[in-house]
Amino acid sequence: MKIEREIRNDHIARIEGKAGITVEIGDEIRARINVTEGPRFFEVITKGKHYDEAAAICSRICSFCSIPHKLTPIEAIENALNIEVSEQIKMLRQVLYFGNMVESHALHLYLFVLPDYLGYPDAFSMAEKYPEIMKHGLKLKNFGAMVQEILGGREIHPENAIVGGFGKLPEQKKMKKIYDMAEEAINSAIATVDFFTEYEYPHYVNLARNHLSIKPYEGYGVYGNEIISSDGFSFGIEKYKENIVEEVVPYSFAKRGKYNNEPFMVGALSRLVNNAKLLDGKAKELLSSYSNFLKEDNCFANNFAQAIELVYFIERIAEMAERARIGKQEAIEPEERNGRGYAVTEAPRGLLIYEVDVEDGIVKYMNVITPTAMFLPMMEIDALNMAKGMWEDGYKDVDLIGNKVEMTVRAYDPCISCSVHVIKL
Amino acid sequence: MRMKIGIHGLTSCYGCQLKMACIEEILEVAKNFEIVYWNMASSKGEIEKVDIAFVEGSVVTERDEEELKLIRENADALVAVGSCAIHGGVQGMIFGEDYEEIFREVYGDSLIDYEAKIGEPLRKYVEVDYCLPGCPPEEHEILYYLATFGIGSYPEEKDYPVCAECRRQGYPCILIEKGMPCLGPVTVAGCNAKCPGFNVACIGCRGPVPHGTAWFDSLARTFKEKGMSKEYIKRRMEIFGKQYEKLDEMIEKVFENED
Repeated sequence: MKIEREIRNDHIARIEGKAGITVEIGDEIRARINVTEGPRFFEVITKGKHYDEAAAICSRICSFCSIPHKLTPIEAIENALNIEVSEQIKMLRQVLYFGNMVESHALHLYLFVLPDYLGYPDAFSMAEKYPEIMKHGLKLKNFGAMVQEILGGREIHPENAIVGGFGKLPEQKKMKKIYDMAEEAINSAIATVDFFTEYEYPHYVNLARNHLSIKPYEGYGVYGNEIISSDGFSFGIEKYKENIVEEVVPYSFAKRGKYNNEPFMVGALSRLVNNAKLLDGKAKELLSSYSNFLKEDNCFANNFAQAIELVYFIERIAEMAERARIGKQEAIEPEERNGRGYAVTEAPRGLLIYEVDVEDGIVKYMNVITPTAMFLPMMEIDALNMAKGMWEDGYKDVDLIGNKVEMTVRAYDPCISCSVHVIKL
Repeated sequence: MRMKIGIHGLTSCYGCQLKMACIEEILEVAKNFEIVYWNMASSKGEIEKVDIAFVEGSVVTERDEEELKLIRENADALVAVGSCAIHGGVQGMIFGEDYEEIFREVYGDSLIDYEAKIGEPLRKYVEVDYCLPGCPPEEHEILYYLATFGIGSYPEEKDYPVCAECRRQGYPCILIEKGMPCLGPVTVAGCNAKCPGFNVACIGCRGPVPHGTAWFDSLARTFKEKGMSKEYIKRRMEIFGKQYEKLDEMIEKVFENED
C-alpha cells in the first residue's frame, strides 16, 4: 500500500508506560498500537519463590494498580492453600482495594485525561487556569492514597497486605479518619461526574462490542469468581483459558486478548454496562439522571463511568469504615502447602486474572492476564476508527487527528507496564 | 532562574514517577523547578539540556539504552531513582540466565520486531551521579533530594540499614523475637522501617546497604542462629539486589565462619 500520510507518535504522553501509535493513510487506513515497554517476565521471576515473596514481587507489575496486583495473587494463593479469611479481613481488603480505585481513577481523570478536554499539555499548566478543578483531583487522589497507606502500609506496593490477612490491622481511630475524610471526597467525586457530562462523545468510535466483567460476590464490588459478558454468557474463573485467548503480534511486547475470537472491552464502562443495577446511593442517583452518558458502544463513556465509580467507591469506603470494629487478629498460617488456585478481581482498568500452582509453599507456576492486555485489540480498533472517521469526514490536519487518536487511547486508561509483565499461556 | 529538571521512565512499574506525581503538595513543589520533560505527566517537552535528570526503571530494550544515553548527554547530573534504576529491579533478578530460553518460554516462537534483554541498572550504561533508593522512594526522600538540588547543594545518600531506623522507631525485632526472615540488617534505610512496623519481614525492596556495610557483627548474624541458610538469604536478597556487585561479598561476611 502506498502511504500518503502517516501519523506517528513513538511515545504517547500521559499514559502509564511506553507505547506508541502509528496510523497509515493510503488507499486504506491502518492503525497500530506499538507496545515498546520492555518485557519483565514475571512468571519466570516468581517461579521458585515462597508464596509471600511471589505476591510481593507481583505488586511490582504496576504501580498504579499495585494493590490489585497484590490482593489478587493473595486471593489466588489462598484459594490454592484453602485459606478462608474472616469477614473482617474481607471487608478491610475491600476498603483497601476501593481506595486504590479512587486514587487510580482520580489520577487518570485529572492528570491524564482532563488536560485534553481543557486544552493543556499537562495538569500543571491546567492548574494555573483552573485551580478549583485541580483541587478536586488532588482531594480525591489524597483520599485514595490515605486509605491505601492506612491499610496497605503505603500507597504503592502495599507490604502490609499479606497471605492470610494483614501484618497489622489498622487502629480504630484511623478508620474514623477515613470516614471523616470521605465526606469531602464525595463532593469532589460528584463534581467530577458533573464535569464529564459537559462533553459529547466523538461518534467516530461508536461500535458495538462485548463487555466483560466479574459477577461480584456482593454489591458492585471487585471480588467474585465468575466472569460475565454483555452477550449473556458467563463462565467460572477456572475456565478462563478456554474463553480468553492471548495472541502475539510483531509490534508489541504485550500479548493481546480475544474473547470468542473477538476483541472486547473491560474496565469501568464494562462494569457499569454489566452491573449498573448493583449500584446504590448517590452513584445510582447520578447514573439515573445522566443515563444518556452511559453509551456502551463508545469508549469515551469510560471516563464518565470512572467518575460514577468514584462516587460509589467513596460511599462504600465511608460505609465500611463506619461499620468496622477492629479486633485483634493475626494473619492465618495455611495448614496446606500445596494446591492450584485461581482469582479474578476488578482492577481499576478491568478484569485481572491470576492462576497459581504452589508446591510445598513454593510457587511452581504463575499466570496473569491483565486488563490492558485484554482490551488492547479493541483499543486499536477504536483508534483506527477515530482516524478513519475524521479523515473521511474531510479533516486533513494530521496533528489534530493524532491528538484525537491519543485521546481515544487515553479514554481506556491503558496500563502498559501491566500489559508487558508477560505471562505465558 | 529555576533549576531545569527532567523526569524519565525506562522499563519499570512507573511507581517512582507515580510517587513523585503523588507528592501531596506537588503543584507547590513543581513551581520551584522548570520541568522540561516528564512524558508521563505532560505531552509537551523533548529531551534537552537540564541541570538534573531523574531516571527510574532498568535498561531492558535497545530503546531504553538509546534514551538513557541521550538523557545522560543532556544532563549535568543524573539521579538513578528506585530499585530498578539502581540495581535492575525485580526484573533484573534473572540476570545471568539464558535470555533466549526465557523469551521462548513466554512468547513461544513468535517474532517481535523489538530487541530486549534482562533488566540492568543504569550504571552499566552511563555514569550515575546520585542514587535515590526505594521501591518506590518515600515522599520525604524525594523532597529532600529536590530541595538540596534546589538550593545548589547535593543530597547525602544513606549508608546504614533499615535496622537503625527500626530501633529508633522502637519496634520489636521480628527477626530476633519471631524468627521472621527480615532483611532489615542488610537493606538500605530510608523507609523508617515501615514493614517491620507492620509485622512484615523486610523483603529488601530498597536494595542492599551500599559500600558493603551492614550490621555484620550483630543482627545479620542472627540469620544463622535462626536457621536461615546462606542460600536462602542470598536468594531473598537477590529479589531486589541481584546485580549489586558486592552482594556475594556481603553475604560471605554475614555467614563467615559458618560451620
